[in-house]
Amino acid sequence: MLNLVNGQLFRLRDKIFLSFPFLQRIAIFFAVFGPATITAMADNDASGVATYSIAGAKLGYPILFVLLVITPLLAITQEMGVRLTVITKKGLGDLIRENFGVRTSFLIFTSLLFANLATITVDLTAIKTASSLLNLPTFPFILVMLITIVFFVIKGGYKLTQNIMLISSLFYLTYVFSAFRAKPDWNLALSNLFVPHSIQFNGEYLRNFLFIGLGVIGTTITPWGQFFISSFAFDKKIAASRIKFAQIETYVGAFLTNFFSFFMVVATAATLFVNGIPLATGEQAALAIKPFAGEMAGVLFAVGILNAGFMGVVIVSLSTAYAFSEFFGLSGSLDRSFTQNRGFYIIFLFQLAVAAIISLFPQASLFKLAVTAQVINAIMLPLVFKYLIHFTSSKNIMGNFVNSDFKRRFAKIATVIIIAASIAAILSAILGG
Amino acid sequence: MYYFSELYRRKVETEGGYYVGRLVDIVFLQEDTPKITRILVQNGQKNILSIPLSAVRKINHEITINKSFNFSPALPNEITIAKHLLDKQIIDLIGNKIVRVNDVLIQNNPFFYVSGIDISLRGIARRLGVCFIPDFLNNFFKLNLALKLLSWGDIQNLELATGFVKLRKREEKLSRLRTEDLADYLEKTNIKNAGKFLKSFDDKKAAEIIADLNLNYQSALFMDFKPETASKFLSLIDPDEAVDVLYALPFKRREQIISLLSEEKRQELEYLMSFTTTPVGNLMTSQYLAVSSNQTAKDVIGKIKRDTVDYSFLAAIYVLNDEKQLVGVFSPHELLLQNPETPVFKFMIQNPIVAHLSTPVEIIVKKLLKYRISSIPIVGKNKKMLGIVTIDDISDFVLNHVGWL
Repeated sequence: MLNLVNGQLFRLRDKIFLSFPFLQRIAIFFAVFGPATITAMADNDASGVATYSIAGAKLGYPILFVLLVITPLLAITQEMGVRLTVITKKGLGDLIRENFGVRTSFLIFTSLLFANLATITVDLTAIKTASSLLNLPTFPFILVMLITIVFFVIKGGYKLTQNIMLISSLFYLTYVFSAFRAKPDWNLALSNLFVPHSIQFNGEYLRNFLFIGLGVIGTTITPWGQFFISSFAFDKKIAASRIKFAQIETYVGAFLTNFFSFFMVVATAATLFVNGIPLATGEQAALAIKPFAGEMAGVLFAVGILNAGFMGVVIVSLSTAYAFSEFFGLSGSLDRSFTQNRGFYIIFLFQLAVAAIISLFPQASLFKLAVTAQVINAIMLPLVFKYLIHFTSSKNIMGNFVNSDFKRRFAKIATVIIIAASIAAILSAILGG
Repeated sequence: MYYFSELYRRKVETEGGYYVGRLVDIVFLQEDTPKITRILVQNGQKNILSIPLSAVRKINHEITINKSFNFSPALPNEITIAKHLLDKQIIDLIGNKIVRVNDVLIQNNPFFYVSGIDISLRGIARRLGVCFIPDFLNNFFKLNLALKLLSWGDIQNLELATGFVKLRKREEKLSRLRTEDLADYLEKTNIKNAGKFLKSFDDKKAAEIIADLNLNYQSALFMDFKPETASKFLSLIDPDEAVDVLYALPFKRREQIISLLSEEKRQELEYLMSFTTTPVGNLMTSQYLAVSSNQTAKDVIGKIKRDTVDYSFLAAIYVLNDEKQLVGVFSPHELLLQNPETPVFKFMIQNPIVAHLSTPVEIIVKKLLKYRISSIPIVGKNKKMLGIVTIDDISDFVLNHVGWL
């Protein structure tokens, strides 16, 4: 019944994973890293691309500081998730349900559903943005994409998955090349990684920095990503003796995610921020890759954001449906018919329907919603971290693989900072708005 | 029958009304019969008190315990509901995740034991305190959110310490909770509540429970049902049981229900009803004890104590497989000679003597005398057990037919 372990999400990941050896050079390079690469790719969905672009365009290089700080946090929390699963042979959702019961599970699942709905909505508005960049009619385009998504999840072509991942990596690479060709002030970019400077830190800038910074945290370290990586590790059936490799992989993955994010921010900062261009439309966002793509920038951005949006919708909506099954232990394999897996399908389709309706409103713009959605994700993070830290610090659960003092303290302090930043952002939104 | 979620955090008081604490866990033996031994109560100072089940007086709005009792020590093979069972993942034989333990069922008759596991959405709703939601969805959206229960017998109880609840059989073959247990429970409630209780199951399961009720209760239930409901369940239960039920109903009611059955079903039942006019059909009784081959001697003895109170005759115990085919027989004497843990298949006699509905009564008499048995099972097509003819039942026939008596 609930044969989710072999379910579609895992098959999808396996396909993604398996597909790498068939790709060209870059892909072969990625294949070595396995799960880490997948997470890196999945983390940079369309809402991620939009958030980093906004961060670069609106705040310039100083936001790179946040990126540097959250890279170890991402690495540590992802590593906790992998270690937790390798040792306990259970997912994060499983452990929460088994140790804290139905009510807590319900609370966390509801928050996850809400945060994921926000992310999926943004990914769908990215598809909408792509349609307007390509001059295609919005409503039919989104409808066709939704049908494609459902079809993809159910039938999931091996070749197609492979191509989607290829397009993603190529798309992210265009930012790397663009960043170089835009000739940014590298000194400024690199020094801002460590200390934010060379900008007038007035009240409004700081308020934006707080809010967008929180959004950057939320899109880099996602609540769904915590569930995703722990289920991924479960599926790979990594032996406890080989945990070192898995740990190194998560560190590499964290680095890779933020490697791409770094160049996205630099590329947008060097093109939009430096020239004082606000970011509100797809055309403007495409300017960031113009140094590399030239006149093709608009089309390339449209295809890239469409692809990233598609991937985001598929993975995030499946990860909610999967977490639902983990928490509530209801049947949840796509191999089974509708009646046997109602819960799984209802959650999956419900998210798509709600997100589609919201994204179809004319006011719903990718660049208006992206940061807000990611702030919602960031606000939810401490809740997930609380349980992640609790389990990985418990000698009963982890035995000899319990957290080191450094990791536990680092994660705890980060959690407190995120809570404080969330409260500050909410307050400033209320008072300042 | 109780759900663990109903007892969890219930107030515990002594007989004088002195507050002891709240129930936080229930301890039971990790055995085939998971007898409950202790309850764990958390007092105001957050200490856990271990109170033996024998000290529990009654369970009402509060759990009342004796004024004085000894705290009982832990036994080596004890595990607890909240720690080892509740919320755990149920996995099948090859380790696939299936469902979660959403709630635990506790049977209080004849003693307190863990009888099964609720794996349905209703269990979650019950624990969130929103039972009305599944009822609402059932009534207004016609979603069939049925109660799904798993029997203790389907679980490998020795695996519980590993943190998973592992199944004994392939998932498709699960019997779920024994319908007999549910039937027992039902027989203690009034007819109106029974209807409500049955509604929380899907039709097939409800029909199985109805089939396990005693005939008096069955006929009362079929009198209370709407005619449409009655005919629906009648076509779902085994035809021979359906015939029994029909004969227990007043003529008018019987005709009314039959008229609502599908053409095919009506013919089938009328065909079976015609057997009651064959000599063997007339003599046959359905009052026999059937067990399954992997039950232990102890299980069977328990079953005799529970199920055969109103039997007029018990000379043999029949062993049926899942398809209700007769696979063995043994006498109460053989049963009593066994070790409690010996499974039935080790001591049952295979290939029992049988007769058919079409067998002339004379042959049946001869067989009973020749093999010196007191009852003979009547089997239908595919060795399916229909009933038994006992020596009691044929004594009148013998008296009438043997001239020199």
